[in-house]
Amino acid sequence: MFALQGYDAFLGFLLISAAVPVLALVTNKILAPQSRSGERVLTYESGMEPIGGAWIQFNIRYYMFALVFVIFDVETVFLYPWAVAFHRLGLLAFIEALIFIAILVVALAYAWRKGALEWS
Amino acid sequence: MTIASSTELICFLLLGVGVVLGSIGVVLLENIVYSAFLLGGVFLSVAGLYLLLNASFVAAAQVLVYVGAVNVLILFAIMLVNKKEDLKVIKSLRLRRILSGGVCFGLLFLLVRVVITTNWSLPGPVAIGEAATERIGEHLFTDYLLPFELASVLLLMAMIGAIVLARKDVVYLESTPESDLKQGLIEQAQPTLLADKPTNS
Repeated sequence: MFALQGYDAFLGFLLISAAVPVLALVTNKILAPQSRSGERVLTYESGMEPIGGAWIQFNIRYYMFALVFVIFDVETVFLYPWAVAFHRLGLLAFIEALIFIAILVVALAYAWRKGALEWS
Repeated sequence: MTIASSTELICFLLLGVGVVLGSIGVVLLENIVYSAFLLGGVFLSVAGLYLLLNASFVAAAQVLVYVGAVNVLILFAIMLVNKKEDLKVIKSLRLRRILSGGVCFGLLFLLVRVVITTNWSLPGPVAIGEAATERIGEHLFTDYLLPFELASVLLLMAMIGAIVLARKDVVYLESTPESDLKQGLIEQAQPTLLADKPTNS
């Protein structure tokens, strides 16, 4: 039995937001002129001409940013129940959460010091 | 059947169809980029199923960790892979299929056995939604405090390990000036990125 409150609005939001890209593509298909040559097939119609295919090896430095993001994403999951139960937990829990964040600030400082956050 | 329960049934059916079709697509599609995005869709559908089961915190964690983190890592790993490999004929394919099928059906058997033998009814009133998240927070900061703090140490170790592993090639990139010239607006393919430094330069 579903018992959570306020999710009927969420369901409506989900349906409408799912319809937006479908409607955008369908109206584009109906209204746009059907020319498939020249500039039309380029990724960007102005600016540089793209060279080569889209399937290229990206620089490994992007992966560093993804990894740093993942660490702090998981941290958010741990802090979420603390934030919800904050008014019922005491000062001790606040200090515990500060220790948790402090250890991860060390990780951030390490990444910063090693230049993982810079593109160079 | 009331409107609420029929809506719930329709949502469950849609999410179930999304999970099953999405996972079949993940396995069967040839383009791994499509597979990765479909995997994100499967994770989102599973989050919807958690929401239907009144577990809003688990649903939020599913979206944050699996859709936000794991799927992003998978997509980045695909971006780092250089080219589409030509599919070669694998030797002893039949034996491999039989073995992997056996492992999969063994896992399925174990899961079905767990579903049947577990007593799912919980004693006492069950907290749902926001109250469940509060209870998780209380447990996390009282009797599960040590695992909680150890988790931050684990995350610290993961971060340092990732940086140590990924920094190796950056040193090599900085030592060769001509590689910087290639770093234009368009990221060029660099197949020698992870290879050893060439001796003639």
